[in-house]
Amino acid sequence: MLSVVGAEGYADASVQDALERADAYRQAFYDNFTGKLDCYLQAYDAGVEEIEASILAATRDSVGWRDELRAGLGAALAHLDAEPDVGRALIVEVHAAGREATRRRDAVVQRFGAYLRQATLGGNGNAAPTIAPEAVAAGIHSVLHSRLANREDGNLHELLPEFMYIAVLPYHGVDAARAELEGGP
Amino acid sequence: MSDGPGGSAPGSRPPYLARTDRERLMEAVVRVAAEKGYAAIAVADVCAAAGLPEAEFERHFPSKEACFLAAYEAVSDVLAAHVAAAYEGAAGERWPDRIVAGLRALLELLAAESEIARVAILEVSSFGEDARIRYSRALERFVPFLEEGREYSAESGELPPDTAQFAIGGAAAMIFDEIRGGRGRELPAILPGLTYAVLMPYLGAEAAEAEMARLS
Repeated sequence: MLSVVGAEGYADASVQDALERADAYRQAFYDNFTGKLDCYLQAYDAGVEEIEASILAATRDSVGWRDELRAGLGAALAHLDAEPDVGRALIVEVHAAGREATRRRDAVVQRFGAYLRQATLGGNGNAAPTIAPEAVAAGIHSVLHSRLANREDGNLHELLPEFMYIAVLPYHGVDAARAELEGGP
Repeated sequence: MSDGPGGSAPGSRPPYLARTDRERLMEAVVRVAAEKGYAAIAVADVCAAAGLPEAEFERHFPSKEACFLAAYEAVSDVLAAHVAAAYEGAAGERWPDRIVAGLRALLELLAAESEIARVAILEVSSFGEDARIRYSRALERFVPFLEEGREYSAESGELPPDTAQFAIGGAAAMIFDEIRGGRGRELPAILPGLTYAVLMPYLGAEAAEAEMARLS
């Protein structure tokens, strides 16, 4: 379902397309889902969970929040590069799937903001204003959204230094941020 | 144009004033969608609200969606012109002050037209590709104002290429949160935080905080 939604757009994707992609029977679909939206929402949750699992796996040995964020964002970007249609379904098309989908999407972005807030709390950086994590999370999300919406995908991992720059800037200042932009410590 | 804060007070002229039949229909589709939700309205509702026969609607628009998207674009034009006027009106002042002037104008107009803003944000995102392109184009109009910050910033030339997108994305998310949370009318209250979100990618945290502190 996510591949079809990412390729065709939510509005144009049909249950039939998803069945063909999954090589499944209509009966099997309706045994599991009440319809296209239900299937998309369940696929959305599973897709997000998969990315979060890859982030967790990548950050297991990280030391310090910058290390952890670099590894985690790197894993997420690699995931999106491997499956750009899934990324588009999760990040772009979610807006076309109605209010419940948008609510889940908001929760994901808020989780990222809350993670940044928590991660940077114990840091030895500046005391950035409380608005910083939300602004950083939304800025990163917005760049990803624009790349995926315009189908400029496949090399999203090249954005990692920029993302680290903007994430480190509020807490550790310009010099540390520039070090991230130039490839990390 | 807007009367500034409290621009929607009774008796004041709304910034978006319908004149031609086409504009009356565009104004009506937004107003009716704000009341009932876009999905629930029909062309007949729009015509009734505009006080025009359906034949008149068909002369101007092939569909409800076309009418709504035209209205969306008209509202975006008004917003962009309003922000540009505030930014240009502060020519000669420091770049951060010009940005604050633009942001203040943006928040005041959105607050005055909070119903339209709510509909535009909640409904247009469900329209798919066409609406998304219009939305991106609307935001891109603000990029030149922001990019002047590259010259102002002490870090000029070394900022990441997506700096404007970081700033706009952060700002848009903050504004959307307020509008979706039903706090559209109180939008001017977020000016300090919004200022921080927009300036921080260009100036760094300390300078952005100093600008924020000047406002609160």
